[in-house]
Amino acid sequence: MRGRPGLITSYRKDISLFRTGTQRLWLVVLLLVALWLPLWMPNDWLVPAGISLFAAIGAIGLNLVTGYAGQVSLGHAFFLGIGAYTASALSTVEGPGTRGLLAYGYDMIIWLPAAGLVAALLGVIVAPVALRLKGLYLAFVTLGLVFLGQHLFQSWRELTGGAGIGRRAAELSLLGFRFDEDGEVFGVFLSDTQKIYFLGFVLLVVMALVAKNLARSRIGRAFAAIRDRDIAAEIMGIDLTRYKVIAFAISSFYAGVAGALLFTVTGFLEPNAFNLELSIFYVAMVLIGGVATISGSIMGAVFVTMLPNLIDFVSDYLPYDPATGPLNTGQLEAILFGLLIVVFLIFEPLGLYGLWIRIRNYWKAWPFSY
Amino acid sequence: MTVAAPTPRKVEVLTNPQRLRDRAAEAPDRVALREKFLGIWSDFTFGEYWEAAETVAHALLALGIEPGDRVAIHSENRPEWLFADLGIQAVRAASMGLYPTNPSAEVKYLLENSGSRIVITEDQEQTDKALAVKDQLPALERIVYIEPRGIRDRYDHPILMSWTDFLAEGRRHREQHPQAVAEVMATATEDDLATLVYTSGTTGPPKGAMLTVKNVNAAVAIAGADSGFVSPQPGPDDLIISYLPLCHAYERAFSEWFGLSAGTVVNFGESLETIQTDLREIQPSIFQSVPRIYEKMHAGVLIRAASASRLKKLNYSIWIAAADRIGRTLERTGGVHTLSTRVLYGLGYLFLYRALKERLGLRRCRHAISGAAPIAPEILRFFMGIGVPIYEAYGMTENSIVATTNRRGRVKLGTVGEAYPGIELKIDDQTGEILVRHDGVFAGYWRMEEATANTVDEDGWLHTGDVGEWVDGTHVKIVDRMKDIIITAGGKNISPSEIENTLKTSPFVGEAVVIGDRRKYLTALIGIDYDVVSSWAQSKGITHTTYQDLTEKPEVRKLIERVVEETNEKFARVEHLRKFSFFTKELDEDDGELTATQKVKRAAIEKRFSHLIEAMY
Repeated sequence: MRGRPGLITSYRKDISLFRTGTQRLWLVVLLLVALWLPLWMPNDWLVPAGISLFAAIGAIGLNLVTGYAGQVSLGHAFFLGIGAYTASALSTVEGPGTRGLLAYGYDMIIWLPAAGLVAALLGVIVAPVALRLKGLYLAFVTLGLVFLGQHLFQSWRELTGGAGIGRRAAELSLLGFRFDEDGEVFGVFLSDTQKIYFLGFVLLVVMALVAKNLARSRIGRAFAAIRDRDIAAEIMGIDLTRYKVIAFAISSFYAGVAGALLFTVTGFLEPNAFNLELSIFYVAMVLIGGVATISGSIMGAVFVTMLPNLIDFVSDYLPYDPATGPLNTGQLEAILFGLLIVVFLIFEPLGLYGLWIRIRNYWKAWPFSY
Repeated sequence: MTVAAPTPRKVEVLTNPQRLRDRAAEAPDRVALREKFLGIWSDFTFGEYWEAAETVAHALLALGIEPGDRVAIHSENRPEWLFADLGIQAVRAASMGLYPTNPSAEVKYLLENSGSRIVITEDQEQTDKALAVKDQLPALERIVYIEPRGIRDRYDHPILMSWTDFLAEGRRHREQHPQAVAEVMATATEDDLATLVYTSGTTGPPKGAMLTVKNVNAAVAIAGADSGFVSPQPGPDDLIISYLPLCHAYERAFSEWFGLSAGTVVNFGESLETIQTDLREIQPSIFQSVPRIYEKMHAGVLIRAASASRLKKLNYSIWIAAADRIGRTLERTGGVHTLSTRVLYGLGYLFLYRALKERLGLRRCRHAISGAAPIAPEILRFFMGIGVPIYEAYGMTENSIVATTNRRGRVKLGTVGEAYPGIELKIDDQTGEILVRHDGVFAGYWRMEEATANTVDEDGWLHTGDVGEWVDGTHVKIVDRMKDIIITAGGKNISPSEIENTLKTSPFVGEAVVIGDRRKYLTALIGIDYDVVSSWAQSKGITHTTYQDLTEKPEVRKLIERVVEETNEKFARVEHLRKFSFFTKELDEDDGELTATQKVKRAAIEKRFSHLIEAMY
């Protein structure tokens, strides 16, 4: 029935992705704004913006396993790394610069899914750990995964080029179309950063929709049940083994895809990049954005990735100048992260998404307060 | 020469089942009913509706029900209620509804008095009530229970039959005699008893008002028309919500009679308690209700506005003041907007009314009706101001709820409006009693010749028992129930309900009973609205426990004293309340203080709380 959002006549309607016309309208407006941004943004904003879109895919992956399924994982950097190296190895064309490295020269249409699938496979291998452990203990074990991964990346020279040396990231060439070179698209001239931004935009929209759809499906509901109380979930007939494995597999797939793309912007991969700090960054994205929300993951990723730019931007208006003061932008950033995580955990556990919900509820409750 | 008994007019009488059959044939896939089940409003189409009703009819034939028999229904509002009722009418038997709150003793009286052969019960609770008294009811042959939970595999009694088995019986019968129901339906006459509606019985035992097919058709023709209850008349695009007891004629007329004649979609909420949520979800276009519901809504708005944040409170106070102005202007014009109210309303709509109506579930309500009891003009003005036009109407079971209504653009607050076109209504010069005559006037009380004779005279005038007066020669104002009029020791005639309703416009007052018959001055027994007063007390830091504890707080007494003073200011000196006491408990149907329709049983109250009353004199 039009104009009666509360009149829900089927379960399908009850769990539909976007319930009201207003929601759909705003989504379209938001997408249009996101498409319009790169047309005028300066490059020093556009590059991190493009990276933030790839990071958002990774954040959604972490949110699926940690936010939705409640399996706390600090090992996200490992899966990002797996994706990055798989993509790089599959993509690199054998030549003088690749001496001694694995190089297969495949197209993006091969290496992008492959990066996700290899990471997913490793996720499946790791998942049984989560069957045994919960909460803090699981976090520790996945933390171990990061160190294992770092050791692996540093020593497997054929794959990674070794510590301090590294190798080139995957090439953004889709069936001959280059995203990493300036050029005309449908008669419009686009710079490489604009092209990368649009690539990130399309991939993120698709992967976010898939994730949102997954979250409302049987699998998503099983995740939520496991998160809220695994014993109760089991009693309801949810196969814990199966769904925890699925959670890790899907999450790792997202991480693999994100990892493959993230470093294409800078074009270079170094084994030490996949350390604990990277994992923490992603946890921060999820916590600041909003646990168990897709839009929150995106907000968090954009916010965290763009934070250095924001600090620079804000410091123009502050008496303190990071260029001359005792703390540089990087240190400020680190301090701010810590503060933000603490503040959000204490005051707004639902993150940026929670702030949005608060604002929405204020107007939803109009003209009363509840 | 012998006078032949007048043969019943054999025209193509349209009965309710026939209406349903025609709708189902015309548009079988259109949504007729919705029921909230496990969080979802699931649909029933007219095709399914008729199929279910016809199956019930076949089942009744299989169980040997014949024209003229009575079949009782004891259930909350739900689609099965209507399936059963229409099935019963299809085989030319009469349905009789019991209130879900009726205790076992009442169930016994009603089943015995009506001579019901079958009772259809909703669940274990109602089944237990019937089972408890079935030994004293020789006429009762079967109890058909709808919800098997708690009964299946636990109760073993030959009289019991599940709804599923009942329908299976019906389907079997249909296979063997596919035309049986159609044949019975074709023989229907205007004088067939369609339903027995028991009055709530504020005085004495309940009486069963006999409503015939002719009465129902009159109600549909008069009140369902464009000039009737709802104008413009209801249609298939309208949504209503069925929540008042279906055994009462008011709800039945909307959910069943008008639902079938106009094809409106009838929505069944979860229960009377969830009405607020259900309303918000359905946003009905027509809302039939009683003053108590509107009072509760009004009180709810006041409380929540008072506890809103500062900005919201400011916004509310500005626009509610504007609403009051709009309401006053509309009151003067009879409900017609002037240019200035239209502009003011348009602005207020953006800031407050739209959201407020949405919250109340009345945003899409184009016509709201208040009936069954008098409503305070303040409440009507409030709703008029925020853009919910409530039209007060007047009617009773005995005249198929057809007497008067306020009309769009011709509203007079404080009156029950004008008589419908085509009916006769007069006010007795001597007694002031309102008399009504039309085809909707009932056929009499079931097996109560004397009571019938007292109510309908030889000329066919129905004596309503309500004292009324004309306002401006067109509108009728109800003074009070004739037997409730108070004559003070000084010989003054006073209508207690007017004072009571003014008291009840305060959100703090839930019940009020004015006392003073043959006494020197007026007093009142007041029941506070526990929820409202409790939240008020909390905000004032007054600790309290129970209802009684709360009434004993001096602050609460002060609060109500103020309400009483304000009420007194609106009345002449003889009508002032000199003293008041609080009820020591919340009034309850089980204790015989309220009727099933939540009306106060005055006599019972005066007896039960006589110590409080005597203490005031």
